[in-house]
Amino acid sequence: MTESRFFILLAFAIVLTIGVAAGVAPRSPHGTTVSSVIVRPVSAAVGVHVPDELKAKYRRPDAIPSPPSNPLTPEKAELGKTLFFDPRLSRTGSVSCASCHNPGFEWGDGLKRGLGVTGVPLPRRTPTVLNAAWLSALMWDGRATTLEQQAALPITAEHEMGLELEEAVARVKDIAGYAPLFEAAYPGEGVRAETLLGALASFQRTLVSAEAPFDKWIDGDETAISEAAKRGFLVFNEAGRCSKCHSSWRLTDDSFHDIGLESGDIGRGQFAPPSVVIMQHAFKTPTLRDFRLSGPYMHDGSMASLDEVIDHYEDGGKKRPSLSPEMKAITLSAQERADLVAYLKTLQGPSLDVRMPRLP
Amino acid sequence: MRLPIAAFVMAMVVMALPLSSKASAGEHVVVLHHMELDRIEGEMRVDDVVTFDNRSDMTHNLYITYADGTVDNLDTQTPGMKRTVKLRVAGPAVVRCWIHPIIKSELVVLDREDDAGK
Repeated sequence: MTESRFFILLAFAIVLTIGVAAGVAPRSPHGTTVSSVIVRPVSAAVGVHVPDELKAKYRRPDAIPSPPSNPLTPEKAELGKTLFFDPRLSRTGSVSCASCHNPGFEWGDGLKRGLGVTGVPLPRRTPTVLNAAWLSALMWDGRATTLEQQAALPITAEHEMGLELEEAVARVKDIAGYAPLFEAAYPGEGVRAETLLGALASFQRTLVSAEAPFDKWIDGDETAISEAAKRGFLVFNEAGRCSKCHSSWRLTDDSFHDIGLESGDIGRGQFAPPSVVIMQHAFKTPTLRDFRLSGPYMHDGSMASLDEVIDHYEDGGKKRPSLSPEMKAITLSAQERADLVAYLKTLQGPSLDVRMPRLP
Repeated sequence: MRLPIAAFVMAMVVMALPLSSKASAGEHVVVLHHMELDRIEGEMRVDDVVTFDNRSDMTHNLYITYADGTVDNLDTQTPGMKRTVKLRVAGPAVVRCWIHPIIKSELVVLDREDDAGK
């Protein structure tokens, strides 16, 4: 009797010990015990189950939006593409929209800061034009509210393309081969600033990120991304707090935040009264779709690697009154950092199948 | 004799309290959900007070632009925080958020004189 009770107690102790080791000790997402003090909830640390409602927030839309004042048509997009690649829309005849929004660089330029006709470095990094159809505020500081409005800004900016809009229209009018393209796109309206800008806007609306592995996973293909990437998606939404601003299928909230970078550029603060403290040093959240893995990063191109970017968010940015309340210092384990990067890589889709136009 | 009168007055005050705590005709509450403002219902008039109740999980900074171009800034509003503004100018007005430009709500502020049937 005593002996059997001893064995029962021994068995109980063994079960208890195994249970504690398996369930309580900090474990890496791979299931091995680690010495890190970072312990996440079981759902994030052990499993890679992702709630459907969370995935649904990242589902791609079915159609490209366009405004009633300039509905998207293939003819407008074709004209817009021709204009987009035409360097004659710049003062020197040497810089086109595509010079900075180069398809080979994910429709950016891969530079820390853009360069235009004067060769003077621009104050900010060139953003991609991918998925611009969905933007509700354009440019890093949101000074344009429509693609049609935005299209005029680089053409006329002194250090970008440096051409008066009237001069751009006159040049296009003088190129005979443009007339049939304009007639097809805007019958009876001719070459005018409105049609030129409307066509450029229309072409940019067609530049939609191709389906990435992430999209396939969101649509239910569990094999489309790695387990590490799935864990990284949870880090992105939970411990990393990235989704506080990089939300929606485009991984941006189209909103403005001071993320605490050292810079004299006050961004959207230029367009807000000084009393709106929160807009000082605020810049638009960039999309993470098809971002260049090799950088550079941030509105000023000040960071060269993803590691540097994650370090910045771990630190929480420069503390000042305008710092976004969404910016809170975080701590990620080495495993979580690696998982996060694995996830971000799943946002890279194939290049768009855009054929270079023959310029008239 | 004084005690019953005092008690009666107290009772009246207590009975009136629930009524005065309700929003009167000149008070409105608009709830902020995520990146959306509840539709602004009912007539709004100059001097009415509008309370914006941030029930989203993000910080907002609303401002109202009046027909004359002047702006009232409601300042930063963290989740759970309420901000109020007294409507100053009659005419169409727009409520927007500095942080999230997608938030936009249009309203018409009526003049107080309209109350008198003018």
